[in-house]
Parts: sequence; C-alpha cells; structure tokens
Amino acid sequence: MSTPLERGVETLKAQIDARVESYFSSCTGCGVCAEACLFYLESGDPRYTPIYKTEPLRKVWKNEHTVMGKLASGLGMSRPMTEADLSDWEELVYDGCSMCSRCSMVCPVGIDIAYLIRKTKEGLAAAGFVPEGLQTAGERALEFGSPMGLTEKSLRNAISALEKEEGVSIPIDVEGAEYLCMLSSAEVVMYSEYISALARIFEAAGVTWTISSKYFEATNTGVQKGDSRLARQLLERVVDVATELKVKTLISPECGHAYTTFRWDGPNILGREFPFKVVHILELLDQLRAEGKLKTTGSFDERLTYHDPCNICRRGGVLAQPRQLLNQFATNFVEMDEHGDMNWCCGGGGGVSSNERAEPLRLKVFNIKKRQLEALNVSTLVTACSNCRTMLEEGLEHYDMENVEVIGLTELIADHLE
Amino acid sequence: MAAESRHKKNRVRAIVLFCVFSLLFILTVPLIPYAIDAYAVNPGQARVEPLAALEHPAINLWNDVRQRDGRAQGLTQVQGVDAGVLINKAGEDWRQFRMGQLAPYGAWFMGGILGAIVLYYMVRGTQRMPGGRTGVRLQRTSLNQRVAHWFTAGVFWLLAVTGLILLYGRFVLIPVLGSEGFAVTASASKEMHNLFGPLFILGVLSMFVLFIRGNGYNLGDLKWFAKGGGMFGGHVNAGKFNAGEKTWFWLVMIFGTALSASGLILVLAGLGFGREVLSLSHVVHGISALLLISVSFGHIYLGTIGVEGTLDSMTDGSVDAAWAKAHHDEWYSEMTGETSDVQGVAGEEHGDTAGAGMARPDTAG
Amino acid sequence: MFEQLVDGIFWDIALVIFFVGILWRIIDVIRRGTRVDLSAPRGSGMPGAMMANIRGFFPRREIAPRVRMKVIGGYMFHIGLLALLFFAAPHIKFIDEYITGFSWTAMPYWGFVITAQIAFAGLILLWIHRLLHPVTQLISRRDDHIGAVLVFLVMLTGCMALAEISTELRVFHRFTVELLMIYFPFSALMHAFLFIPSRAYSGATFGRRGVNL
Repeated sequence: MSTPLERGVETLKAQIDARVESYFSSCTGCGVCAEACLFYLESGDPRYTPIYKTEPLRKVWKNEHTVMGKLASGLGMSRPMTEADLSDWEELVYDGCSMCSRCSMVCPVGIDIAYLIRKTKEGLAAAGFVPEGLQTAGERALEFGSPMGLTEKSLRNAISALEKEEGVSIPIDVEGAEYLCMLSSAEVVMYSEYISALARIFEAAGVTWTISSKYFEATNTGVQKGDSRLARQLLERVVDVATELKVKTLISPECGHAYTTFRWDGPNILGREFPFKVVHILELLDQLRAEGKLKTTGSFDERLTYHDPCNICRRGGVLAQPRQLLNQFATNFVEMDEHGDMNWCCGGGGGVSSNERAEPLRLKVFNIKKRQLEALNVSTLVTACSNCRTMLEEGLEHYDMENVEVIGLTELIADHLE
Repeated sequence: MAAESRHKKNRVRAIVLFCVFSLLFILTVPLIPYAIDAYAVNPGQARVEPLAALEHPAINLWNDVRQRDGRAQGLTQVQGVDAGVLINKAGEDWRQFRMGQLAPYGAWFMGGILGAIVLYYMVRGTQRMPGGRTGVRLQRTSLNQRVAHWFTAGVFWLLAVTGLILLYGRFVLIPVLGSEGFAVTASASKEMHNLFGPLFILGVLSMFVLFIRGNGYNLGDLKWFAKGGGMFGGHVNAGKFNAGEKTWFWLVMIFGTALSASGLILVLAGLGFGREVLSLSHVVHGISALLLISVSFGHIYLGTIGVEGTLDSMTDGSVDAAWAKAHHDEWYSEMTGETSDVQGVAGEEHGDTAGAGMARPDTAG
Repeated sequence: MFEQLVDGIFWDIALVIFFVGILWRIIDVIRRGTRVDLSAPRGSGMPGAMMANIRGFFPRREIAPRVRMKVIGGYMFHIGLLALLFFAAPHIKFIDEYITGFSWTAMPYWGFVITAQIAFAGLILLWIHRLLHPVTQLISRRDDHIGAVLVFLVMLTGCMALAEISTELRVFHRFTVELLMIYFPFSALMHAFLFIPSRAYSGATFGRRGVNL
C-alpha cells in the first residue's frame, strides 16, 4: 500500500502538461499575484500568496522536469519531498483559496495560477489532505447525489410544498423538454424562491423545462476537492439523466462552480463532448429578454448593486447579461468599484464554504466586500449564486450590516414579470 | 511564528551577505595577477620613485609667466572659457590641496572617527533594550522608505569605495598592484563612480521626500544634545526621530546636495566650466565625501551593533516596543496612546506587523 | 592565457549552451502538449492568446497602485537593458563582427550613459524590493537571486570597461557575459522567452470563455 506522500507525488507528476511547464518556467517570483488575492491582502500573511500555494506541484515539477532540479536531487543536494510538503499546504490551498482566479488576471507573465492550484488540489486529495467538511460533503454527494444529503424523496416533498405555496407548476422527469434545470441543494433547501421564479418565468416565456428526480444536483464536490475521479462520477450522472430525458440544453442554476464545471471543464473531465448545450440561467434569461419572450414591468427603485460570482463572470464569461437584465427595471443600480472581471470574491468559493475550519479566515477576508458595500451605501445586494448568497448573508450578519438585503437575480426578475 | 520570522531574517541576511561577498570576491580576484606581478618585479620596491629636485635654468622666466602671485587674464581672439589664461595654475592649487591637506587630513578624520567608535564600543558595548524584547511590534517605516534607504545606502557605498580608490589609490594600491594594475583599477573605479553618481541624486531626493516628515528640529532636541543623546548613560526623551538622527538627515541633505552638485559639474566638465569652478567643485566634493563617509561610520554602528533592535526598523519595518520606549518614548506614546511609564501592552499577536489596526499589509508599492 | 580562453573556447561553449539550451527549453514545453478543449467556445482562442500577450505589458487598473514600484522598476531595468544590449556602440560592433555581419546606428555616448543609469536603478530597486517585501521574501528562490546578481555583474563589469582602455576589463566583462549565457537556459531567466507561450495558453483559455485576460 502506497504512502500518502507517494500517492500525492505520483498524482502531481501526472498533472504536468505544457501549460504547467510553461507557467513554472516563467515564474520569476515577482509577487504581483499576492496584490490581487483577497486572502493575502486581508490577512497580511504572505503564505496566502497565490503562487506559493502551488509549491507542492512546483517542487515535483522542479525535481522531475528541470536540469537543475534533477542534478540537485541526483547529487543529493536538494531536500527530498516529505509528507509535510503536502500536509502543510492543506490549509493554504483549501482554507486560503476560493479559486476565484483574480491572480490569473494579473500575473505579468500570464500564469493561470488558479489552474495550477486546481492541479495541486489533485495531489493533496490523492494523499488524503482534504478538510473534513469537504471530505464528508464529497462522500454524501457520492452516496445521496447531494452534498447536503438530500434524497429524491426530500426533493419531491420540497417541490410539492413549493407548488402548493406558490401556486406554480414544476415539471419533473418530462422527457423531450427543451431545458433540463439542474439545482444546487442550497436552492432546494434555502432559496426555493429560485425554483418558483423559474416556473413563473418559463411559463410566461412559453419554454418547456424539467427537473430530474433521479439526479438533480448541479454542484460538484469532486471539482471543489480536486478529485477528478469523484468529479467524473458525479458528472456522468448528470449526462446520463440529460441524455435519458432527451433535453436539448442543460441549465446551470444560480451556482458558481456548477457553471464552470458543466460549461467549460465538464467535457474535458469526461473526455467527450456533451450531447447537449449548456447555458447559465442568466444567459437564458437574457436571451429570452432579447427575443422579447421575457417582459418585465414596474421598477425597482431601491439603491442596489450586483455581486459577480467569480465562476460566472471571470471564469465563466457571463458578464453583460446580469446587467442587461437588471437594467430592465432597476432604476438605482450602482456598480461596486471593482466589479465584472475584476470583482472581489465572496470568500466562499472553491469549497471554502463547506470547510468549517476556514470560517474565521473567511469572515476576516469578507472585510473587502464589506468596504465595497459601505462605500456604495446600498440597501439591496443582488447576486446569482446561492453559495455567494449564503456567504454574503453570513458576512453581513457578522458585521451587523443587516440593513443590506441579499436577493437572487432570477427571483428579482420573476417579481417584475409582466 | 517567532521561529519563522527569525528564520526568514537569517535567510535574507544570508542572501545579502552571499551577494555582497560574491561581488567583492569577483571584483578583487582578477586583480591578484597584478599584485603578484607588481611584487615579483619590484619586491619591496613597488613604489613610485619621487622626482629628484632640480633647478630649472629658466625658472624665473616661467615663474613670471605663470604669475604665481596672482591670476593673469589676457585678451585673446579665441572664444571659450579660460582662453585668456596662458598657463592656468588653478589645477595645481587643487592638486596641492588634495595631496597636502585633503588626503592626509581626510585619512586622519576618518581614522579618528572609526577609532572613537571602536573605543566607545569597547567601553559601552551594545546598548540593550531595558527589560529585553517584549515581542510587541510597532510599525516604524514603510516599504518605500526602506527601499529608498537601502538604494541610497548601496549606491553611496559603491561611490564611496570607488571615490576612496581614486583619492587614496596612489598611496595604498600602487604599492600592492603596481602602476599598471592601479591604472586598470582606477579606470574601472572612475567609470563606476561617474555612472552611479546621478543615481545617488535620485536616492537623496527620494530620502528627502520620504523622511522629511518628523525630521524638523524642535526645542526638545537641545535637551537631547545637552544630555549627550543618552550615549553616556541616562534616558533622554525623543520623538520619532531623535536629534542625532535629524542631524544625520540634514547632513546627508546638505552635503549630499553638495556632492551631487559638485559631482555633476565635474562629470559634465565638457559643458565649459572654468578650471577654477572645477577645482572648487573638487574641493567641495572631496570634503563633503570624507565628512559623510566618516559620519556614516557612526550611523552604521548605531544602526547595527551599537543599539540592539535598531536594524529592525530598516529590515522588518517594525520595532520592538521596549526599543521604542527606551529611545523614542514620545513616539511610543503617540503610537500606543500610553505614557512610557506603563509597563506591558495588552497582548497583541507576536511577530505580526500590526500597528494601529491596518486593514491591508503596508507593502503597497 | 585567460584572455585567449575567454575570447576563444569559453565563448564557443557559452554560445552553444545558450542557443541550444533556450531552443531545447522552448521545445520541451511545447512538445508536452495540452489536451484539446472539448467545450463549445464562446470566443476564439487565437485572438485571446495574442491579446493576452499584448495586454500583459500593462498592469490592471485595479492593482496598479499596489504594484507601482515593481512595474516602474521592472520597465526601467528591462527597457534599459534591451537598449544597452542592442544600441550601445561597443555591443553593435561586437554583434556585427561575431554574429550578424551587419550593424546599425548606435546611441550617442550620453544616451548610453543615461540608459545604463536607468537600467541599474531599475535592477537595484527591484532587487532591494524583492529582499524587503514579505511576499517576495517568501517566494524568492536561490535562482532568482543568482540571476539578479549575475545580470548586475555583467552590467557592472561593462560599466567598468567603459573607457575601453583596458583589455583586462573587456575580457572580464565578456567572461561574466559567458557565465550568464551558460546559466540562462537553466534558470528563471527563461521567462524572457517563455512568457509568450504562458500568456498565450492563459489568453486562449480565457478567450474561449469570452473573458479578456
């Protein structure tokens, strides 16, 4: 049986491709990445420097792929890797990084540092150095199909309760519908207004849609954990139900990493193209608006701003759509100073929100968001990711800023349907 | 955390020392063949032979022409600076001053200061922090201030070493390297000195802008001087910068400006400065340099082994509270809101650069 | 004797290691390849790759105030060094004689001096900044310091030989250049070439998603 160190190092070796080689060969240790990272800036701890978080992968690359590295280890001049080289990085990578990719945007030599961190996670996960919260979420996802442990029965109960309360119709397992809506467990449990909003919008727009009872979960703990095998297993389930239901397009809900997983990384994780298209709900809503199928009425006059979820804007490319949608009815929409592709992360992405140990750090780095909101003096904060929403609400409560209400964009649009 | 920051400090120190020594090593090793040559050719006799004193037959004529008693300016069609002076003795005046006064007195002055420092250290030793380190840190300098300081200091030392080679090389290096070896050294030193000179101007300007705040004299400084700055025992009150530091600041500004101005005149001699202006510039340049070099010995001593905890302000940027209380009590009170009589500060985290609750690390720039 | 070695065999060895080493490093990166991206692109990768290479020269507005010294020092050093290398008269003469067989107009002497001062100031500022900033204190490796010191030595020995009156000083300068050429392909100095594929890979990835890196 191999040791954690051996498993970790072997997995890291397998991660090295042309991009990894190019990136590590170009890095001059300039430290500019740190000046974009919310974990470094708010904590002042240089260990949260983005490129420093990739040390385990860099050490393996150096030892295996560089002349200097191979010479040094061959001559016994360099310190061999130890388990501490992996375990000491668990906190830095899982607690101190939300994979927001802001660092990738600023590196002068063009290193996609978030890409390297994702690969570093593969090694740490293989060695077993994963935070407990994330580990159990992954196990629940594998067993129940939901990291929160939601079963098909709980889903059906929640859906029928919603139908009764809101007077909407939520189709389940409808074969041949145009759209398959994936959901995050958080939306089912905490933000079910998203689901009823969908029902109202789609009915008004004349769009056929469905949810799958067999597998509804949009989130992918495998991606957050850095466990490609788990990521693949969870994705296969999604592709299976989408194929079975013969849908044309899969809708990624108000969830950040679900979008990047389905839309951008998914086909590469599975090694094949999907037999269906993938859109984010905001993309679809904006498309319906442009086609004249989504009409809004009235106005929302309270001072509001929009928080860009990192995986949707910077990593996903959905920047203009939420603004075009909001501008249909919001009369007092102001932007945060750093928004769009250089937004500040809510602090909870990449699995940080599932990691209880990371809570103090996460709340500390929320100060950046807090300052952004204080500068704007808004009463409403709109977002399009249920994870961001939870993080924002928790952060605002922690800092006694309960005068700011957090609301989902889809829900807000449905409230203004004609 | 303490072990980590000590380890980090040692690492930085090791890197700096490695770089400085490898630089010194690489620059001096090529001169060894010259030294060997010079010694082999003239063992014990590698000296410049002084010219024998001879009486020139036309010496009276030439003394008159040179008008040794005064400067004779003639009328001439030729345009240009000093064109009307047949034989210019301003350069000779400078040479006499340089060889007879500047070099020897400068050497005595530098040696004297160095000796006084060594003596002082032998008697007083390193001034420790009363009560030892508390572990509580106060932010004293910003990153920009530290970068500007080391930039200026590094360039100053490069200029000082090359300048001293140019001034004293004839006496100190020719016996060791021989004339040819020294010619190479002097040429290299002159080129380096001329190139790095303007960088010193940049350094002095940046130091002025970044350190002017807090360096104005006030009445309390008189008291500080009267008490000898606490160098001979006892406690003196001081703000962020004590009177000694302020004096060093103003010395650097005044004599640094003098060095810069005279240096620029000398290096841009081609622009048409007269011999007298150039000679005067040389005098100013030499005196300013020797003065600053000598006082810098004191600055470096006090900043390193002389007073424990001082170097932190220029490396880490923060200092221990005990150091602040001992040497800059008024500044300590401003920073913490306490009087220096109060012992111990309510527990802040050890090793962090926490000052007055900064939202972001003070490392922008 | 040393002069003959430096002007002769050392130069040949350094030249070979320099060019072959750089070529080999670049090929080694590219040959490893990346998997074809199977997701449906929103935008095109190639313009993304090219634009990332251009935009990478300008720091983003959002972080510009925090990285001012690094950017200014960095440009002072890099542009200064480039100008010195290719537009200083002694270098042009050397390149003409030993490499290209043709020459071009050199900078005037005063331009050479000012450029050298800018390059030195940039390099010294950057190196001191690297030693004092807590982030670079943590992430800087031996390689980064050796590279900085070697480049500084090359520049310093060049400055020392400026009067062009001494063979020894010229040879010393050439020797440090040869040391740098041998060290170059195995160090982080390779960023001088590999920043192009790095920016290209990232630019293409983000470009396909419709995001401008």
